[in-house]
Amino acid sequence: MKIPFRMLALILGLFLSVGAFAQQIAVKGHVKDASGEDVIGATVRVAGTQTATVTDFNGVFTLNANRGATITVSYVGYQTATATAAPTLEITLEDDATVLNDVVVIGYGVAKKSDLTGAVSALKPDTKNKGVIVSAQDMLQGKVAGVNITNYGGKPGGDARIRIRGGASLNASNDPLIVIDGVPMDNSKVGDGSNPLATINPQDIETFNVLKDASATAIYGSRGSNGVIIITTKKGRVGQKLNVSYAGSATVSMKAKSLDLMDANQYRQLVGNIYGTESDAYAMLGTANTDWQDEIYRTAVSHDHNLTFTGVAGPVPFRVSLGYTGQEGILKTSKYERFTGALNLNPSLLQDHLTLNLNAKGMYSTADLADEGAIGAAAYFDPTQDPYSFTSTYHKNMLGDKAAQTLKNFGGYFEWPAGGAALNDASWPFMKFKDATKNPLALLEYGLSDETVRTFIGSIDGDYRVHGFEDLRLHATAGIELAEGSKNNVLSGAYPSENGYYQGITDNDNLKRNLLFNAYAQYYKDINADNHFDIMAGYEWQHFYFQWHNLWQSFYQPTHNESPNGLYKNSPDADEYESYLVSFFGRMNYILKNRYMLTATVRRDGSSRFAEHWATFPSVALAWKVKEESFLKNVNAISDLKLRLGWGMTGQQELASGDPAANNYIWIDKYKRGYGGNGRYPMVGDGTLYRPASVNKDLKWETTTTYNAGLDLGFMDQRLTASIDYYYRETKDLLNWAHLPALYGFMDEGYLNIGKMKNYGVEASISWKAIQTKNLFWTLDYNVTWNRNKITDLSGVSEGGMPVPTGDKIDISNRVLAHQVGYAANSFWVFQQAYDQNGKPLENVVVDRNGDGQITTADKYLYKHIMAPVTMGLASRLEYKNWDFGFSLRASLGNYVYNSTQQGMRLTAPNALMYQDAFLQNRLANTLGWLSDSDASKLTDYFVQNASFLKCDNITLGYSFDKLFSSNEWEGLAGRVYATCSNVFTITDYEGIDPEVSSGVDGGIYPRPISFIVGLNLNF
Amino acid sequence: MKRYIKSILPAGALLLALGMTSCTKDLDVDPISPKISTDYSAEGLFNKCYANFAMAGLGDGGSGDGDCDVAGYSDAGMTNLVRLLWNVNELTTDEAMCTWGDAGIPELNFDTYDAEAAMVKALFARLTLGISCCNQYLTVASDYNATMTAEVRYLRALQYYILMDLFGNVPFATVIEKPTQLSRADLFNWIVNELNEIEPTLTEAKAKKSAEGNYGRVDKAAVWMLLQRMYLNAEVYTGTAQWDKAAEYAQKVISSSYKLNETGAGGWSAYQMLFMADNGETNAALEGIFPIYQDGKVSTSYGNTTFLVGSTFTGDMVVNPQGDPTGTNGTTQNWAGNRARIDLYKKFFPDGKERNVASYDMVKQARDDRALFWGIDRVLNIETYSTFKEGYSVAKFTGYKTDGSANADATFSDGDWFFFRVAEAYLTYAEALTRKAGSNQLPGDALSAVNKIRARANASQKESMTLDELCDEWSREFYFEGRRRIDLVRFGKFGGNNNYNWQWKGGVKDGRNFDAYKNIFAIPAAELNSNTSLKQNEGYAY
Repeated sequence: MKIPFRMLALILGLFLSVGAFAQQIAVKGHVKDASGEDVIGATVRVAGTQTATVTDFNGVFTLNANRGATITVSYVGYQTATATAAPTLEITLEDDATVLNDVVVIGYGVAKKSDLTGAVSALKPDTKNKGVIVSAQDMLQGKVAGVNITNYGGKPGGDARIRIRGGASLNASNDPLIVIDGVPMDNSKVGDGSNPLATINPQDIETFNVLKDASATAIYGSRGSNGVIIITTKKGRVGQKLNVSYAGSATVSMKAKSLDLMDANQYRQLVGNIYGTESDAYAMLGTANTDWQDEIYRTAVSHDHNLTFTGVAGPVPFRVSLGYTGQEGILKTSKYERFTGALNLNPSLLQDHLTLNLNAKGMYSTADLADEGAIGAAAYFDPTQDPYSFTSTYHKNMLGDKAAQTLKNFGGYFEWPAGGAALNDASWPFMKFKDATKNPLALLEYGLSDETVRTFIGSIDGDYRVHGFEDLRLHATAGIELAEGSKNNVLSGAYPSENGYYQGITDNDNLKRNLLFNAYAQYYKDINADNHFDIMAGYEWQHFYFQWHNLWQSFYQPTHNESPNGLYKNSPDADEYESYLVSFFGRMNYILKNRYMLTATVRRDGSSRFAEHWATFPSVALAWKVKEESFLKNVNAISDLKLRLGWGMTGQQELASGDPAANNYIWIDKYKRGYGGNGRYPMVGDGTLYRPASVNKDLKWETTTTYNAGLDLGFMDQRLTASIDYYYRETKDLLNWAHLPALYGFMDEGYLNIGKMKNYGVEASISWKAIQTKNLFWTLDYNVTWNRNKITDLSGVSEGGMPVPTGDKIDISNRVLAHQVGYAANSFWVFQQAYDQNGKPLENVVVDRNGDGQITTADKYLYKHIMAPVTMGLASRLEYKNWDFGFSLRASLGNYVYNSTQQGMRLTAPNALMYQDAFLQNRLANTLGWLSDSDASKLTDYFVQNASFLKCDNITLGYSFDKLFSSNEWEGLAGRVYATCSNVFTITDYEGIDPEVSSGVDGGIYPRPISFIVGLNLNF
Repeated sequence: MKRYIKSILPAGALLLALGMTSCTKDLDVDPISPKISTDYSAEGLFNKCYANFAMAGLGDGGSGDGDCDVAGYSDAGMTNLVRLLWNVNELTTDEAMCTWGDAGIPELNFDTYDAEAAMVKALFARLTLGISCCNQYLTVASDYNATMTAEVRYLRALQYYILMDLFGNVPFATVIEKPTQLSRADLFNWIVNELNEIEPTLTEAKAKKSAEGNYGRVDKAAVWMLLQRMYLNAEVYTGTAQWDKAAEYAQKVISSSYKLNETGAGGWSAYQMLFMADNGETNAALEGIFPIYQDGKVSTSYGNTTFLVGSTFTGDMVVNPQGDPTGTNGTTQNWAGNRARIDLYKKFFPDGKERNVASYDMVKQARDDRALFWGIDRVLNIETYSTFKEGYSVAKFTGYKTDGSANADATFSDGDWFFFRVAEAYLTYAEALTRKAGSNQLPGDALSAVNKIRARANASQKESMTLDELCDEWSREFYFEGRRRIDLVRFGKFGGNNNYNWQWKGGVKDGRNFDAYKNIFAIPAAELNSNTSLKQNEGYAY
């Protein structure tokens, strides 16, 4: 729909019969949609009068109107159509999706899609094949070229990692900026799964607009480097009759895959072989056969319900939505419940000169957060132990007549025991062995935390077209983001904590309060038919505030000899911090002959986080609508051809590592005061400590320069559209969490502007409406992204020297990921495994790559990296009459994962199976059986495994109906029922549970379940 | 309509203009964090300069290691100064071996450390951060109190000494600035000058218990202790021996008010009292110079004595024969980590035969109170470094007080760590006299100094002793106290082709020589990367 307005006029024109006399006539009309279906309940009104009606079950209406009067027809989900009154009218409503194609929300304003010069992807969520949608990010997954979303696991209400074009930063934040209804969100979290996208009901989302290149994001200046996701929520509409709709679904989820661990008999045999059947280790074996991975998971049931009211109250169109999501996790005891409410009012005043838009969105969630330590514990726990009793001869001898008392102390669960004399409690002759694997079921039962999160996002937005000077618009937005999270747990002595005896409580509260005010003026001018320009200038002020309180207390058991129930440890802790961002920005668009376009933007940002507050971020972009040139204008096969070129600079100031409070004041000379009762050193006074804190007065924004070249194509009257973009981005002054030279500061690591990195790639998307007939529709959407990343400079942390380790630790201090010049960020830095003739890895034998006769760190090399060079998404929908069928696939090619679980279980050395001579640990059924716990046996490329995958995210079958239960008095119900399978299958060579590991180090995640959903949508 | 424009536009413009000017001022923030202070506290900084030896951070999260100073280690307690110093000076030698596979531990066990060895890196960071704290104190608060200033200068000199001993040629700065590398000999001279300068300002050498003021703070005796140790090793550090000076400063300590603890209490030997939970309260305190203060409630860490007590025990060891049979070391911490190599055991039992008895019986069989080995359910030889019960356990450090009760806290130790003990001065004195005489046999004065130490341990009096035997005596007296590597280097028994082998030396069971360049450690690679003016020590890649 290249020029929808014109198109619409054309279509309407076809169906309009033209009358010419200004007198009341009876107008009878028929309203249908583009597929020819009758539109029932559409609102029909005569413009400028009170006359209105709605269409009947057959899409037919009748009303009286002056000949020549304008008739408007509106219905939710469609564009409003207009026609001139005539005795018979045939009106076709265009799908609202074309509205999306028409107007795109960009930073501080909107633009016609056809006039865009930057790389912007618009996505209207697939309402039919959507799978398990808890958070908005789930709707984006695999759908937009250049946008990569990985949820951190299958935890209910869980969070996800979002990367646009791979991220521009090495180890500052790579999260995109999220703007909801004009309010830029702050990514700091107040609870476990509370990223900004989780604070709104996905059902309320009208569109996502993803700004990818700098010419689009530079208007967001210092926060635009990692891309911007603009979310617009649904609104009420003028002239709409009251509409009530319901959407609900029920989901059953279950474990998709388990680790292949030794069962009890295999394990008994292993222990017997290694220690002998007369050993302590053998005597420790229990008599049970427990599959711990089965014990901790369950089939979980979830459901969600959404109710939406849209209509007009007096002059005020409104939309109210209420949502409920109740999600059980497949890990026993884990649960997430969320209530959302959203209100939107958008009245137009002063003859439509002043448009107000008021948004209020509230969210309240409660979660039962299970102790996820149970997942790892289930993998390692000895399968011969009964979960609820001591069955081994070793333990029976050890505990003697104290077994029953000990079991009671342990909350009825088996735990690895140790002598408890030091506890000074006659009722606790034995305690849990400090370092032993905890009984996963006890962790789940006694380690539950309650989390409550409340959020509120509110904004008032005014848009005023100046009277008598309508080319000038003044716009102002005031917004607030409030979020509060509170996490509590009460731990009985039965909770297998580190100290294994004391009872405890924790109470953790977070509060985030961000304020926003912006104002801009926009001036449009058509100088003549060939020259159009508009110019915008504005100002923005933002304040970010965060505070937290944390209380952790533990108490002696009631039976303690000296202080029953007395306070054992008390660690109250609290902090608060704030930052400001003040900005001036402007944009200029110039369009020549509706063919050549120029956009220039500039933003000057002031941040309180750096000593030199101010920096400027410019951009320029050009577009050429080739289709409009005379040589193409009449080529019917090509319906669109546009070339885009852009350049721009963006910044980044989100510091992801280190102490968040200190990060906000990094340029200020300061000291950190000691706190808490156990960290005093009373040489003088009460022993309070003052530590000089890291200071970096030179720290500044990292700056990303982006070049983008794009081509938009349309064929066969836009039935086949494609978009392809090439981009090149270079980030300099990377905000690096890096080693600080000794004696040069007060920490050994901190933030420095070090190095350069480049990203380049191609992303393409194709959308094909393969079949479009009255009864049969088939659409295919495919996107592919190819991204390369390379570090080009690290002077200061690795000048021709050693790679800089980064990422998750795989043990106390070793990391397998590193950055190095000439390589992709997050490459694996490992030894090269040596193999025997049969291709079996040789234990503790790695290649002496530098040939100096010994194996040292210098023999490690950079091998593969975690980011997939190629990602793809394919979604398709087939509709036949009332039936619809859809599926979505997602592929990731060339990404590698360090299989930390396999590494952690590689050893069957005596001390690795019977740890600290006190407890046993299980192994994978095909354990490597290695003995040496050296770096050369764990930091090798053997554990770096290809984790390419093809996943089927969703398959849905749906049936739509209308006029259900209709009668003469009632038009009946319209709606849809559907069944979906989510996380259907994964095709991969990777040996772990799931190849999709956002950190690149697979130490066991909350497994993503396979889910079956049935759902119902109703329109009343 | 016009009225609208007239009123709205100017009002809006005014509001905007006001907003802009006031809002750009918002950018000059003052920290609102209750933990951040833009003013210094001389006393708070002073405490932190000391605390760098005792705790890994500012506290909380359950211990004084919370908010750890050294980044990059998931176990904050592991970055405790004493714990790291212990690891690099003990695990690399004939005394100790650890079962853990924690990064950096196997490299020490087998002397295969390089520029990336985790424990060595952490220690380098710990020491240099401690020096930075001192430099900051001396920059902003040197006028606050002359004695305190001298003490901070001492703490800085001591940490530079440890750096010099471990790394040889190290980055050096006395204010916060990009440092330059100083050679080992130059740094040696700087430390000596510094100590000489501050000595007059420090408080008089006076032995004290924790109940008295200034316990835990350094006095003149700490200067003498450090000087006697430096002069004893001067040949290693500078190429020039200074035996006279070593003897002179050792003698100063011996004749000070600090005394060997010679009388046992509550059934515990005088020697064992030095390593117990109440060693700051009993007469044992009078032997400790610069005690690293620990209190299970107030000053806590997973390093120091908590580490020594916890890491050397398993649940089957019961060191208090009068106590509960499941009482182990008086704490809930039994980490099964560090135990003796057979070579250490042979210092007391040259026959190398198994003695599967408890530690309180072992000392009787050894006729030496210092032979605190646990032999029940243990074998002497280590076949697999990771099996704790291979190798005898060491029951030297416990969580018991002399009255038989335990630490106030079931986890954290109350026992202090004596950075120096007077006994060291006796052995330094003996060795310096012998070396000065150029003799292999200890002269009379030297022998009687050694016999003084042995007498306290109820060990037999020696009629004669060779230098090699003196090296063993160092081990008998100070094993598991974090200094063995220094002695072995000085005796030429560490790196190089000396054929002084111990089990698993160099990573093979029977032991083998490793290169002499490993007598000092590598400057961490990240340090070389970030400060290109530094040069790596000879022999190390990167």
